[in-house]
Amino acid sequence: MSGATVRIAREEWRWLARSRVALVAGVLLLLLIITATFTSVQKHEAIDEARARYQSEQIEQFYNQPDRHPHRMVHYGQYVFRPLAPLAFFDTGVDAYTGNMVFLEGHRQNSANFAEARQSSLMLRFGQLTPAFVLQTLAPLLIIFLAFRALAGERERGTLRLMLAQGISARQIVSGKLIAHAAVAGAIVLPALLALTIMSASSGASAQALLIILGYCAYLIVWTLMALVLSALVPRARDALLALVALWMVTVVLLPRGLPELVAASQTLPTRIETEVAIGRDLKAIGDSHDPDDPYFNDFKMEVLARYGVSDVQDLPVQYAGLVAMEGERLTSDLFNRYAADANAREDRQNALVRTFGLASPLIAVRQLSMTLAGTDLDNHQDFLSQVESYRYSFVQHLNRMQAEQIPAVNPGEDPRIDASNWLEVPGFAYVAPNPLAYAGGRIAQSFGILAAWLAGLACLLILAARRLERIAR
Amino acid sequence: MKSETADAVLEARHLRHSYGARRVLDDLSLRVGAGEIYALLGGNGAGKSTTLNIFLGFVRPGSGSASVCGIDPSTAPDEARAALAYVPESVALYDHLSAYENIDYFLHLAGANRHRTSVIDPALDDVGLVASARGQRVGGFSKGMRQKVAIALALARNVPVLLLDEPTSGLDPRATAEFNDLLEAARKRGIATLMATHDLLSAAAVADRIGFLREGHLDEEVAANGGARFDVDALFRRYSERRESRTA
Ligand SMILES: Nc1ncnc2c1ncn2[C@@H]1O[C@H](COP(=O)(O)OP(=O)(O)O)[C@@H](O)[C@H]1O
Ligand SMILES: [Mg+2]
Repeated sequence: MSGATVRIAREEWRWLARSRVALVAGVLLLLLIITATFTSVQKHEAIDEARARYQSEQIEQFYNQPDRHPHRMVHYGQYVFRPLAPLAFFDTGVDAYTGNMVFLEGHRQNSANFAEARQSSLMLRFGQLTPAFVLQTLAPLLIIFLAFRALAGERERGTLRLMLAQGISARQIVSGKLIAHAAVAGAIVLPALLALTIMSASSGASAQALLIILGYCAYLIVWTLMALVLSALVPRARDALLALVALWMVTVVLLPRGLPELVAASQTLPTRIETEVAIGRDLKAIGDSHDPDDPYFNDFKMEVLARYGVSDVQDLPVQYAGLVAMEGERLTSDLFNRYAADANAREDRQNALVRTFGLASPLIAVRQLSMTLAGTDLDNHQDFLSQVESYRYSFVQHLNRMQAEQIPAVNPGEDPRIDASNWLEVPGFAYVAPNPLAYAGGRIAQSFGILAAWLAGLACLLILAARRLERIAR
Repeated sequence: MKSETADAVLEARHLRHSYGARRVLDDLSLRVGAGEIYALLGGNGAGKSTTLNIFLGFVRPGSGSASVCGIDPSTAPDEARAALAYVPESVALYDHLSAYENIDYFLHLAGANRHRTSVIDPALDDVGLVASARGQRVGGFSKGMRQKVAIALALARNVPVLLLDEPTSGLDPRATAEFNDLLEAARKRGIATLMATHDLLSAAAVADRIGFLREGHLDEEVAANGGARFDVDALFRRYSERRESRTA
C-alpha cells in the first residue's frame, strides 16, 4: 500500500468529517444501532426472564397436582416454553412468529407443528428494530450515501484528473477510497461487535458471535464495493446515487421478499385445515380401541393376552385400558411424526432454494447466515419442536404406564386415583440448545461462500472500472 | 532554434485523433525544448485541450505519437505524468480544504517534497497569493485566486514540464502580467512550457514560439524575434484573416 493510497483514504475521512450531511447520517445510524442493541438486549432479557418464570410456575403446578387418575394428568398436560438462544437479541429470526409456547397433552402433537404461519416462515417481518435489521437494511443505505460521490464526485469536480496528473494510478485512487469506506463499514459494525462480544461471553457462543460479525463485515464491504463500482462507472454523482438506491431497493426490499414468495407459490403446501383433515382421516384408519370388532385392536388384544398367558383381560396383571392407551399413543405419535417430517422436509427444500437466492441478493445470504448463527432460524425451531415431541411422548407414556400398572384392572371403584407423589417421578422437559456450528456447518459455509463470491465478483468489477478511470479525458 | 536541437522535452509527431466521426487532430507535430515557452493558439474546438490530453495520457491518439521527457504517455501514463505539472482549464480544487491543504495533498500524491516553508510558501509567494488567504478554505476563493493555487502547485512540483490550459482566461490584466512574470521565471529554471490559449496577446507576451492551430492542424509556427519579440499587429492580422477564412 503506497503512501498516496493512505493519504487518499485519510482525505476521504476528512471530507466525510467536514461534510455535515455525512456526519449527521452517520451519527444517526450509529445511534439507531446502539438503540436497537439496547432495546433488543432489554427485550431479550425480559422475555427470557418471563419464559423462565412461566416455565417454573408450570412445573410447580404440575408437580403439585393432587391424587388423580393418570389419564386426567395426560389431559391436564404441560406447557413448555422455548428458552431464547443467547444471541437471539441480535437477530430474532423466525422467533417472532413461530410461537414459543407449546402445550403438551396426550393423543395430539402441539399444533405449532402444523400452523399455517409456518408456510410464511420464509417471509420475515420487516421493521423489527434489531441490530440485525439495522445492519441488513439501513447500514447499506448509509454506505451508499457516504460513498456514492467517492469517485463520481472527484470526476465531476475535475479533481480526479488533477489527482491522476500527479502521476498516481487510478488503482491507487480506487484503493484509497476503498480503504476509507471499508473502514466506515467497520465502524458501523463496531457497536454490534461490542454487544455480541459482551452477550456471548457468558453463554459460550463466542464462535457464533465472531462468525456473525465476519458475515456482516463481508456484507457491508459488498455494499462498499457496489457503491464504488457504480461511482467509478457513472460519470455523474447524482446518477450514481440514483442507480445505487435503485439497486438497494431491488436487493434489499424487493428480492428478499419476492423470491421466497415465488418459491412458496411454486410449491403448493397443504393448508392447516387440509393437514388436519388428512390427519383425522388417517387417525380413523388406525382403528377404534373402544370398538370390540375393530380388527387392529382385536389383534392387539390377542397379542397382549398371549404375552401374559391369560385368556381374559380381567385376568391381566395390569390394566388393559392403560395398555390400549399406550398403544394408541404410539400409533398416533407415529402418524404425527410422519406428517411433521413431511412438513419439515418441505420447509428444508424451500429454505435450501432460498439460500441459493443469496446469489441474487447478498441480503438473503447474510440473513440466513445471521439467523442460523444466532440460533433463531427455522431449523433451530424444528429441532426444538422435535425435542418437545419426544419429551411429550415419553411424558404421556409415563403416565399411561402408571395407569396400566397402578390402576386396578378389576373393580377400580367409582373414582380410581393414584398418589400425587407419582407426579414427581415424571421427568421434566430439559431443552438442549443445538449448536449451529455442529448442525448447520455446511449451510454456514455455503452462506460465507456466497458472500465471498459477491466480494470476488465486485472486486474484479472495481479493478476493471479503475482501469477505465485511467483515461478519463474529462 | 532551440526546438530543432536533438533533445526536445515535449514532442508530438504526426498526431491524428478523432472522436467518433469527428476529426479533432490532423497531423499535428510540435517540439518544445527545455527553457522554452510554446503557445498553442487557436479558437474554441481547435483541438488544444485534446493535444494536452495526449501529453497527459488521458487520450490515446488515433495515430502518431507523443513523448514527455522521452516517455510515451499512451503506454506509460503514470511516468509521463510524474514528469509534468498540469494546470487544467477550469481549476478543480477541494472547496473544503485550504490553499495549503490542497497543495499539500496533491504534492503528497505526486510523492514530491511538500515542506511548507521551503516549498509551498515560496511557490505561493511566486504566484502572489496573500499570506492571509493561504490557510483559508478555497471554497471562498475567486477564480483568479484558485488559478494561483493551481499554478503554485505546478511550480512546487519542481518538474521539467509545465502544461497550461487557458491559464489567463480568468485573470484580470494585472494578474495576467504577474502570470507572465511567473512563466519568465519558469523559463529561467529550464522548464519546458506548453500553453494552450485563445488569447493572442498573452501568447505574444511570453511565448518563444506560437503555433497557430486550426481545426486540428498546425497552420504555421512563428518564433519570437529578438527583444521586440513579436510584431503583434502582424500576428493579429494573420490570426483574424484565418478566423475570417474559416467563418466565410
Ligand atoms: N471526449 C470528447 N468526446 C467527444 N468530442 C470531444 C471530446 N473532447 C473534445 N471533443 C471535441 O473535440 C473538439 C476539440 O476539442 P478541444 O481539444 O477541447 O478543443 P479546444 O481545447 O481547442 O477548445 C471539439 O469540437 C470538442 O467538442
Ligand atoms: Mg480547451
